[in-house]
This record gives sequence, structure tokens and C-alpha cells, in this order.
Amino acid sequence: MAISDAEGESPAAAKEVGGERKRKRLAERSLLAKWKTEGERKSYSSKLIEALRVVRRSSCPAPRAVRVAADRALAVTARGRSRWSRAILSRRTLKLRSRARVARLKPPAAAAGPRAAERRKPPALEQKARVLGRLVPGCRKLPLATLLEEATDYIAALEMQVRAMSAVAEILSAAAGGGRSSSVAAEPM
Amino acid sequence: MSSRRSRSRQSVSTRITDEQINELISKLHAVLPEARGGDNDRVSAAKVLQETCSHIRRLHREVDDLSERLSELLDSADLNSAQAAFIRSLLM
Repeated sequence: MAISDAEGESPAAAKEVGGERKRKRLAERSLLAKWKTEGERKSYSSKLIEALRVVRRSSCPAPRAVRVAADRALAVTARGRSRWSRAILSRRTLKLRSRARVARLKPPAAAAGPRAAERRKPPALEQKARVLGRLVPGCRKLPLATLLEEATDYIAALEMQVRAMSAVAEILSAAAGGGRSSSVAAEPM
Repeated sequence: MSSRRSRSRQSVSTRITDEQINELISKLHAVLPEARGGDNDRVSAAKVLQETCSHIRRLHREVDDLSERLSELLDSADLNSAQAAFIRSLLM
């Protein structure tokens, strides 16, 4: 698993150097580190279990429904701070794939203008950026910088989602195998 | 904070610099599971984007597999005892 240790960089050093950029970078790192905390994983897990209840009651608990529920729970846990999470939450329930995939061939030369950074981008990079924009929800027409930010957050969130779903699956299979275990939450410490 | 917002509007005064892009690329590179031997300065943007795409696809596939597994488990398992086990794990 990726280990980006936000705790490694001492916040004191960053404050000494000053500069808004350093502070902003630190804030962004801690945003990413949030996805790694136990608290977030448990918050997501409980939302997930609740969502799974609803899925189970529906007529056909298909894997697709589970995936949708898991994604929505993930987006809720993100608290609307990222584009991809807002995009997931505003998805209609039936995401029809019959949307006509028009090949939008916008030659990068035509976009020469106020975008200094984009003008220097080779078309191979453009292509890859477009593919990435399709993979991250709600990020199709974003400028590269925003897309990179969203992708970074999205990856951290996805990794947490995988960890949490594995844990829930473990609990469920243990519960299914071991039968009903007796007394529950009121265990005195 | 305002400069981050106006970036999407492409205003002339807050143009996205190459340096900012490189910074974001290296941040993205940091969360990717490639072998990192201290070669953080020599990443190419194209490679990072490529890795990012395959990593996201890989994660999506994992989530799909887990969804499969969960949907199978949902049919047989009792969510009450699962929630009980979950709450117990919270307390431990």
C-alpha cells in the first residue's frame, strides 16, 4: 500500500519557513492522511453496513447494487469536499451506458491561447489526462491541475474503500460461518 | 484559497504554472504503489498518469470483486450479528 506519511513532515518546520504554499500543501497532505485513519474507515464501514441493509431488502441484491451503495457511502464520507464525491452523489440510480461516446477530437494546437501550461503539453499527455478524467467520476472536462488533485484524493479514498469492504466481508463471512454470537455491545471494559 | 477557485476559470492572473503541475504530479506519484527508491525527482508526467490510470482501474476491479463477495454474503448472512461483531470491534 502506498505510504505517504503526512505525520513525517513536522508542521513546526513548515510554519517556520512560512509561505502560504507550504501551509496549503500540508493541509492537503492531512486531507489525504484522513483517508488512512481508523476513524474514517470505521465511519465508512458503518455507513456501508447500513447501505447494505437497504440493498439486502431490495428485490435483487446484485453486485452492481452493492457497488453503487459502497460508492455512495464513500462519497458521503468525503463530506462533499471533492468533485468526485459530489459527482457520485448526483448520479442517477440507473447510469445508462448508452450515452453516445462521441470521439471528441480537440487538437491541442487549437487550444493555444491563455493556457500557457496546456500549450506546452504533448498530445500523449493530453490523451492520458483524458483517460484519467474518464476514470475519476465527474472529472471529464477539468483542467489538468484540478484533475490531478481529484485523482490523488480519489485514489486514497478508493484504497480505504477496499480496506473497509474487505473488513466488512470478513465480518460477514465470520458471522455467517460462526452463527450468532451472543451478547453484543454492552461489554464492560 | 481564492486562487485555487479561480484556477478553474482560467483567469490570466492565476495561470497554472508548470511548477504547480509538477508538484501535483509528484504528490500523485507519492500515493502510487510503484517502487520508490528516492527517485521522486525523476518522474515523468506521462508515466505517472499511466500508473494512475492502471492503479485506479485495479482498485475499481477490487471494489467490484468485493461487491460480488458482499452480495453473495448478504444473501446468507445475518446483518444483525454482523453489526454486533462490528460494534464489538469498535469497542475493543
